[in-house]
Amino acid sequence: MQKRECLTAIFGGIAVIGASVALFQAQPVVAQAQGSAAVFTPDGRLKIPEGFRRWVYVGAPLTPNALNGGKANFPEYHNVYVQAQNIDAYMKTGEFPEGTVFVKELTRLLSPTFPDGSRTEPSGRGFFNGPFNGIDLTVKDSKRFAKTNGWGFFTFGHHPLPYEATAASVAECAGCHIANVAKTDMTWVQFYPMLLNRTAGWDTPQSR
Amino acid sequence: MRIIWKALIAGTFVITGVAISQTNSRRGPVFTKDGDLVLPTGFREWVFMGGPITPNSLNNGEAPFPEFHDVYIERENLLYYQHHGNFPEGTVLVKELVLTQKGKYPDGSVDSASGRGYFPSELYGLDVMVKDSKRFANTNKWGFFTFGHKAPPYSSSTKVMSKAECASCHIAGVAKTDMVWVQYYPLLHANLR
Repeated sequence: MQKRECLTAIFGGIAVIGASVALFQAQPVVAQAQGSAAVFTPDGRLKIPEGFRRWVYVGAPLTPNALNGGKANFPEYHNVYVQAQNIDAYMKTGEFPEGTVFVKELTRLLSPTFPDGSRTEPSGRGFFNGPFNGIDLTVKDSKRFAKTNGWGFFTFGHHPLPYEATAASVAECAGCHIANVAKTDMTWVQFYPMLLNRTAGWDTPQSR
Repeated sequence: MRIIWKALIAGTFVITGVAISQTNSRRGPVFTKDGDLVLPTGFREWVFMGGPITPNSLNNGEAPFPEFHDVYIERENLLYYQHHGNFPEGTVLVKELVLTQKGKYPDGSVDSASGRGYFPSELYGLDVMVKDSKRFANTNKWGFFTFGHKAPPYSSSTKVMSKAECASCHIAGVAKTDMVWVQYYPLLHANLR
């Protein structure tokens, strides 16, 4: 190989690597600038955000069907996820930023054997996660959802996988959030231990 | 010209090195010189696998693990399990315990807007298991650790637990599924990201 060709190849290689590094770093910046995992279709329906199971899990209330007349409003585990940057903002300001998405994924209980829905396992008597069983979701968008305190509510079905791909906002959820948690930005922060003490960090094991 | 060449080649290696270090974020376990496990950090940003709950009130007031058991794994190790059916060397599983809100019912449940059930209140302890087939050959490749069943702060490092304390129950119950109670973690079965 001639020296000139070799040099050209090296320059080309650097350009390719440089461009890929720039792309690699630029993507999250673009996503942050958009500021939201909420993606709407042209007719205003919301898509299930990709990758939400990699977001931060903040807590899982459990309302067993067996303790709720056989039919809990949200059967049965409510696994709640939110993105780390939105927790950071909440810890600083006490409010979630515009575009914040909370995903609540439901799971059924693993084969109950007691009337209350529990079963006995080597770790004791209690409740254990069964199959996935639905997704509900809230989005903060104070213009789009001005009538419901700045948050929109969506359900993608209370049933096993697969879920609906898109959903229109529903009105019946907001009333309960407004009645109970309007003062904490429409979010049940009392059920999420990591969010309770805003003066402490949330992501290190020595904080809460 | 020769110097410029060398600089360019060195620069290429540096840039490539940066790119590799950015994509390789997996941390794995950290041990002290004495073989104690250092408290893992950042695990609340790992993937949540599931949260069995054994309420104290359903276990004579003193469950072995009070009460929610929130289990976390690093994503790379989750994906590896989905493909291979076992966990790679260096896998760390973290189980953080969370108490429930005090309920008015004898079973410990409480009425809330969403119904009667169990709701998290305070963080209350941390247990960890680490896969290292050489270090923990006597306990089926996994070492078991507890950093305390109490409110934070947790211990900053801790010794491995004896075989009788943790490993024996895993060996008896889940030796065939790489010592992990995979039946409680729907994400391990669903082949989802």
